[in-house]
Amino acid sequence: MAAPKFDIGDRVVVRDETTLFHARTQKFTRGHTGVVVEHRPEWVIPEDEAFGRDEDGRKEHFYVVRFKQKELWPDYTGFDVDTLETEFSERWLEPADQGE
Amino acid sequence: MSGSHHDHTEFPVASKVSEFEILELAVRELAIEKGIFSADDHRRFAEWADGVGPHGGSKLVAKAWTDPAFKQRLLANGTEACKEVGIDWLQPTGVGTPSDYTFFYVLENTPQVHNVIVCTLCSCYPRPVLGMSPDWYRTPSYRRRMVRRPREVLAEFGLHLPSDVEVRVHDSNQKSRFMVMPMRPEGTEGWSEEQLAEIVTRDTMIGVALPAVGRKSDTSAEAIAAGGRG
Repeated sequence: MAAPKFDIGDRVVVRDETTLFHARTQKFTRGHTGVVVEHRPEWVIPEDEAFGRDEDGRKEHFYVVRFKQKELWPDYTGFDVDTLETEFSERWLEPADQGE
Repeated sequence: MSGSHHDHTEFPVASKVSEFEILELAVRELAIEKGIFSADDHRRFAEWADGVGPHGGSKLVAKAWTDPAFKQRLLANGTEACKEVGIDWLQPTGVGTPSDYTFFYVLENTPQVHNVIVCTLCSCYPRPVLGMSPDWYRTPSYRRRMVRRPREVLAEFGLHLPSDVEVRVHDSNQKSRFMVMPMRPEGTEGWSEEQLAEIVTRDTMIGVALPAVGRKSDTSAEAIAAGGRG
């Protein structure tokens, strides 16, 4: 198994891929930038698990990503401090701020 | 007076059979026919699930409030620490309950951060420690609005948090399940673990309410009706 691609504290962008297959990656997070705050155990990705591949499905690292609510929702009605956390398998994340 | 006139009684929405319930029934009957599990297995699981309730969660919080070493273990490994209060996430099925076999994390509220849980994709919930989720937790309006307008939803539950407290929403979209550990309220100094557990209600562990001295149950439609306010 490969080492985790992301470290805690890394800024990441959620890939904006098709919604055609079962992915458990919410539409409202796609294309948005957040920060990795937790590692989660490696697990069969939902794209394979949904088709019963519990044993031979592709396993990946999972990460908890924290978003600023105002980054997710341009019309957010709460306060600047508010956040949301949710989880992604590695394939859904790309490093943010590349080239900076 | 005709019978049809008398039949104007409107049934509450919750009593209607949803498409999801019909789907569940169809899938369940197919699974039984195919021998994936038996009707008796299903009955035993349903009985277990109905009997769980939020008491396990209340116990975890009360114990953590009174025992700093336990609190550390609970925050470090929720699934393991649960066993200390008699909750095994792998029981009764051996592989965990459907949709619950997973990793359990306790989210500690602090003076700076208030946690609240939701599942936008379905209705994931830490059933081994909180029992079955309340009806509202599964509604599309709670699921959609809690991620988008959490402060407004919390205000509807009567919870108003100041602007310097971070509201942190946890969307249970993958394998993790969450429970909120609220802060111990003032006025509970010297209380026993049992006394403390009584004020740690289900809603305080979802994050839509705060524990308070004298509040031992969550507001429900039944309670409002019984109080003559409905």
